[in-house]
Amino acid sequence: MRRLEVDGIPAVLAPVTGPAHAGLVFRVGTADEPLARRGITRLVEHLVTDGLDPAGRTSWTTGPEHTWFHVQGSPTEITEFLTGVCEGLRNPPADRLAEVRELVQGARPERDPLPMWRHGARGFGVVSYPEWALPGLTEAHLREWISRWFTRENAALWVAGDEVPEGLRLDLPAGVRQAPPAAARTLPLTPAWFTGGVGWDTVIARGPEAAVFANVLERRVHRDLRDLTAQTRTEYVPRSDGTARILIVAEALPEQSEAALGGLVDVLAAVRAGQIDPDEVASVVKLTGEGLRESESRGARLPGQAFNLLAGREVQTLEEALAEVRAVTAADVARVAVEAYDAGLLMTPPGSTAEWAGYTAAPAMSDTVPAGRVHRGRRDRALRLISGAEGVGVTGHGVVAAVRWDSCAALLSWPDGGRHLIGEDAVTVRVEPTMYRGADRVVREVDARIPERLRIEMPARDRDRIPQPEPASGAGTGRLYATAILCGVLALFLLGGGLWILVQSLAGPGTGNPRGEDVLALAGSLVFGVMLGRHGWTAGRELGSRRS
Amino acid sequence: MRAMIGSTDVVLDAAAAYPEIAGLRAALRRRDWPACRALLDQLEPTARSAALQSCAGELGLEEFLRGVLAADVTDAAAAALLGHHLIHVGWEIRSGQYAKHVGARQFDRFHDWLRRAELVLIDAAARHPKDPAIWTARLLTARGLQLGLAEARRRLDRAVAAQPHHLPAQLQFLQSACPKWDGTWEVAHEFARDAMLAAPPGSPHAVLVVHAHVEHIVGDDDTDVVRYLADDTIRAGIYEAAHRSIWHPEFRRGPGWVQAFTAFALIFTMLDDRRSAATAFAGLGTLAAEYPWNQIGSDVSAQIREARAWAYEEAV
Repeated sequence: MRRLEVDGIPAVLAPVTGPAHAGLVFRVGTADEPLARRGITRLVEHLVTDGLDPAGRTSWTTGPEHTWFHVQGSPTEITEFLTGVCEGLRNPPADRLAEVRELVQGARPERDPLPMWRHGARGFGVVSYPEWALPGLTEAHLREWISRWFTRENAALWVAGDEVPEGLRLDLPAGVRQAPPAAARTLPLTPAWFTGGVGWDTVIARGPEAAVFANVLERRVHRDLRDLTAQTRTEYVPRSDGTARILIVAEALPEQSEAALGGLVDVLAAVRAGQIDPDEVASVVKLTGEGLRESESRGARLPGQAFNLLAGREVQTLEEALAEVRAVTAADVARVAVEAYDAGLLMTPPGSTAEWAGYTAAPAMSDTVPAGRVHRGRRDRALRLISGAEGVGVTGHGVVAAVRWDSCAALLSWPDGGRHLIGEDAVTVRVEPTMYRGADRVVREVDARIPERLRIEMPARDRDRIPQPEPASGAGTGRLYATAILCGVLALFLLGGGLWILVQSLAGPGTGNPRGEDVLALAGSLVFGVMLGRHGWTAGRELGSRRS
Repeated sequence: MRAMIGSTDVVLDAAAAYPEIAGLRAALRRRDWPACRALLDQLEPTARSAALQSCAGELGLEEFLRGVLAADVTDAAAAALLGHHLIHVGWEIRSGQYAKHVGARQFDRFHDWLRRAELVLIDAAARHPKDPAIWTARLLTARGLQLGLAEARRRLDRAVAAQPHHLPAQLQFLQSACPKWDGTWEVAHEFARDAMLAAPPGSPHAVLVVHAHVEHIVGDDDTDVVRYLADDTIRAGIYEAAHRSIWHPEFRRGPGWVQAFTAFALIFTMLDDRRSAATAFAGLGTLAAEYPWNQIGSDVSAQIREARAWAYEEAV
């Protein structure tokens, strides 16, 4: 493997046994996109390759941290494609934007809900959200994005072949090398759980031990969940910041999701308890070694080496990589297993929890709502929308959601006045003017407080998608009426009775003072009468508030 | 026989039928874990699971067993017993009542104890995946924590993978398979019958079939008991079950034998079949188990005494 430079871009080159191929990678991915720009990298990637008519086998991909353009073919085909990509980045075909956008919108990326719970609505967590921003992205947005991320200093090249193809020119604008995305963390406690499907992920220190652990875990999950799932998938994703993510997704068979969860919990508990089979580790090490050799011969290790260059790491020879993997022992894997378990985030199927297995619920709400002006819910006095100097929030029916003005990740804005603020911690505050009294004022405040760059204009909603206050339930109203009337009548009766006793005892013949039992009856009538009256009054007030 | 028939004793203590339980209890009260292990380790898996479960109610085990586990985290028997004990404490709080009669605070505390048990058992199952006693205990936690029938089935599968036809686990799963927990009558009856037929003839597994019927009779308000018990298929199924177990020449006084006789004594009494009930009572002597008699009334001893006298009337 050779290190070299092509037009100022660091490159790795290694001869291969099969067909030659090459790739150009940039240190930009979904983890770099603010939520209000989610999808922009994929749009750039598709736009700059749109006009090309490559002869070789080509592909382009946006990952969490890297975006790369890959081509396999003759030196001419490689040159044509990569030069074309650079040309596209210099002059994006703006006239094709609308069509390419439609194409990109048509091919939605698979949803991965775990990162949002771990990282919030920023950095690595953004990938969990839909690409809401796509329709609103303009040529200016794209140019700005390209000039920051798709530069000579932020690129690396790999060539799997004997030489760099003659005539390969990578004409990219100058820029700066971008640091790895910060792994912001929203989860206060781990191991944690949330409801979504059946899955798990963890973030641990990257390295050969972690990679071997991921493989051991994959085999074990496959073995133990085979009868309960249609398929299971395990991924090991090293990150530039020296960590790695391990992801397990299990697609449970119908009616088996609870058992799939139980099986997954048990597999994780087993590896954590040190139940690592040394024979299994040995065979994984052996297979990994064979895989590395095979990858080396095809040039499949080169992309990873190019990623290393972008992260400021040294390239690693096959021998170095093999030696590292061979040194991994069952004890190493067991140590990683504990680290992985402790940092774990478990996804449970709807209707299931994981408290029983020792996992803490990942926070889905805010602790408090900043102080401010209160707008009560229409027809539902329990609902509250609160807008203040520090932020906006809603409470009611066990929900507490707040977004501070200075930690808003995105604002979704509908023409009907609906506003959803998504906080950096992934908590969403839904400001729906239909739901709260006088909420138009809050909408104006939100629009004034949240900067334009965080705003996403959403397409008009159908009428039935706009939330409406729940009509007060008939039974509840009926009961309230009955309570109000019954209490009112009883209160009148008791108070009237009390009055009668008073009159009688005062006007009674021959006695100057009321008798003891009269006083007692009078006091009782007053106390119960007032109590019932209050009760009826409360019911009446509640009825009044429901009508409004 | 006559002396036995004349006896008015009803001995519900499992230790009277299974001497190992008496020994285990005594060793536990001495806090002598090596003696407990010596006893437990020589038992075959079914007897071991049953013995561990039957000692769950011993007082103050938690601190003692946590100490044992602290010294040796790999002690499977200590973990299983601790699990059973914590479950027992929880279930005492919940009481054996139907869910609608249990208060919210009671439920919280019940779940809290079950979670503590489950954490012990998760770790134990991780270290000893082939110990059926641990999976048996985890069937109880799965039920109380409402983890669903599929999860209960997975735990049963793990138990019977460790020992085929592991009756203590099957008895627990049958409870989960009833509608009062996560199942249906179809699931419960089918499971009971399949488990009986899969086990070797003469084994006590037919008790599952009887338990399913008793649960169905007492647990379903819509069931007309007279009509239910008059059903020819059901009656035939019960007699078939008796022939496969308590009336089979291979039937032995091994683990589960008291439960089998007890269940048949009840169902034959319900069927108004004195002669058959008398064979079950005769098999029991003065012994009996509480379940399933405790499903039809709270004074188990009195009910058994009365039914036994009735069954023996013709014999005398």
